[in-house]
Amino acid sequence: MTQWMVLYRKEWLELIRSSKLIWMPVVFILLGAMQPIMTYMMPDIIANAGNMPEGTIIEIPTPHASEVLAQTLQQFGTLGLLIIALISMGTVSGERMSGTSAMILVKPVAYTSFVTAKWAAIVTITAISFVLGYGAGWYYTAALFDTVAWQDAAGSLLLFGLWLSFIGTLTILFSSLLRSAAAAAFTALGTAALLSIATSLLPKALAWSPGKLAGLASAQLTSGTASGMWPVIGITFVCIIAALAISVWSLRKYPSIEAV
Amino acid sequence: MTLLTVEQLTKTFGGTCAVDGIGFTIHEGRCVALLGPNGAGKTTTIRMLTGLLAPTSGRIAFRGFAPGADHRSVIGFLPQIPALYGWMTGQEFLIYAGRLCGLSAKEAQIRCSGLLERVGIASAAKRRIAGYSGGMKQRLGLAQALIHRPKLLILDEPVSALDPIGRREVMELLRELKQETTILFSTHVLHDAEELCDDVLIMRAGRIAVGGAVSEIRNEHRQPILTLEIEQDEQSRNWLRGWLQAPPAYVQSTSANGGGARLVVTDVHAARRSLMGELLESDVRFTKLEIGHTTLEDLFMKVVTAS
Ligand SMILES: Nc1ncnc2c1ncn2[C@@H]1O[C@H](COP(=O)(O)OP(=O)(O)OP(=O)(O)O)[C@@H](O)[C@H]1O
Ligand SMILES: [Mg+2]
Repeated sequence: MTQWMVLYRKEWLELIRSSKLIWMPVVFILLGAMQPIMTYMMPDIIANAGNMPEGTIIEIPTPHASEVLAQTLQQFGTLGLLIIALISMGTVSGERMSGTSAMILVKPVAYTSFVTAKWAAIVTITAISFVLGYGAGWYYTAALFDTVAWQDAAGSLLLFGLWLSFIGTLTILFSSLLRSAAAAAFTALGTAALLSIATSLLPKALAWSPGKLAGLASAQLTSGTASGMWPVIGITFVCIIAALAISVWSLRKYPSIEAV
Repeated sequence: MTLLTVEQLTKTFGGTCAVDGIGFTIHEGRCVALLGPNGAGKTTTIRMLTGLLAPTSGRIAFRGFAPGADHRSVIGFLPQIPALYGWMTGQEFLIYAGRLCGLSAKEAQIRCSGLLERVGIASAAKRRIAGYSGGMKQRLGLAQALIHRPKLLILDEPVSALDPIGRREVMELLRELKQETTILFSTHVLHDAEELCDDVLIMRAGRIAVGGAVSEIRNEHRQPILTLEIEQDEQSRNWLRGWLQAPPAYVQSTSANGGGARLVVTDVHAARRSLMGELLESDVRFTKLEIGHTTLEDLFMKVVTAS
């Protein structure tokens, strides 16, 4: 456990020194705040566009607060995912390529600790960024539209946070299986997109797929319930554990690049 | 006392056999050089010993561990090109390495300052590693290999990237460390091995061509040698050329040597008498006639160039 904490603290220090701990939350806060503000200002923006015939009356129905927050989640589902993939794409392959994994893994370090400490650091920075970003979205939605019940907001936060962590885990998995960091990010994002599309095309067959998490988070906001979430949550946890186990196996087999 | 036994260790990459069924033992307290030309399989052997590379077949047994068990806690390793976290300071990296080896924060701190002092980078302890020179990284690499007082220190070409002064200093450091722990280091420079080591393992093309205690090998493969140097006048040069074309029976092999020749001979007494006679008779103006013995260098060259 002490060793795990030493590894985790090192990951944490690296996030600080590389400024990731600053810019990732900042980007998430911008993402979260932008959606309600843009939605609020949309009628003015259109009215000021200037190329409307005189006398045109623009009627845009004011969206419900929970819809605004659900749209905010969609922002995190695209740009947010991209940022998480960028942050975690070199987690394992970077250390392998530079040779530092060889320096560390000739010491009596448990391979499992090496991987899970990195994973925990990614999950932590994701959680911090997402809570701040989603909090900003919630705050502006409340200020400009209406307050969304905090229970619903918290429920959707947890569901969507799990989806983001799942993507981070996938990126770490591909980062330990592939040499190139870019390929790892690309594969992880591709897998996420495939999962979401397949789940929406085959809702029955893939009722328990992690690809449902984003939809469940929205449902929690708009309807106050996310029916059928427990099996999905369970399967997601199983997938996360399996992905970590494969990463550990891959690292044990190929601790450094020259050995591949 | 035997510390490490290696038997029939083999590693193949695709079709090429990088290490081909080698076996050796390392005794506690010895300093062993793994010697060989580029591509001999030194790094591959070392990587298997450190557990970074799984052998294709064979056995590595460490004293006190079951064969094939995880013995990482008792080895310290410095790779050929040490990779360090550039964003850490030297001190941070060393403490990190120590804590990973199970030292407490306090112990790691104490060992760290001692080692930084010892390898001579104490003044740069608080600077980022990214700004270190190659030699400083090498020293920090050595320090991190020593942080947990390993039973076996494994160094892959520890001095080949250093300038002559750095090389001198690291060799001195290794000479001290020799008193404290068992060392295995690879090099392609025989001189380094001869200077420091008790045992050598000379590798060539994945096999151990010659191995054993330096003194024994030196005696075992020792052959008398005559070194002849002549003045560069027409007549002497012609004589030497003619003589080398059909050397007498006691000459085993010859090699040109600047203004003369080196002759490996079988019977040193016969050689001395006969050669002196011939030199006088033909009135050769020789400047030097020396009788000595083959060095390890000769053996090394013979082993690594043999086809
Ligand atoms: N990962 C690998 N894949 C394929 N071949 C390899 C690999 N690693 C080493 N080899 C081959 O194994 C042989 C031995 O290589 P090794 O690196 O062990 O030599 P070395 O003695 O350390 O040489 P040097 O003095 O240049 O460091 C070489 O022919 C090399 O091409
Ligand atoms: Mg090498």
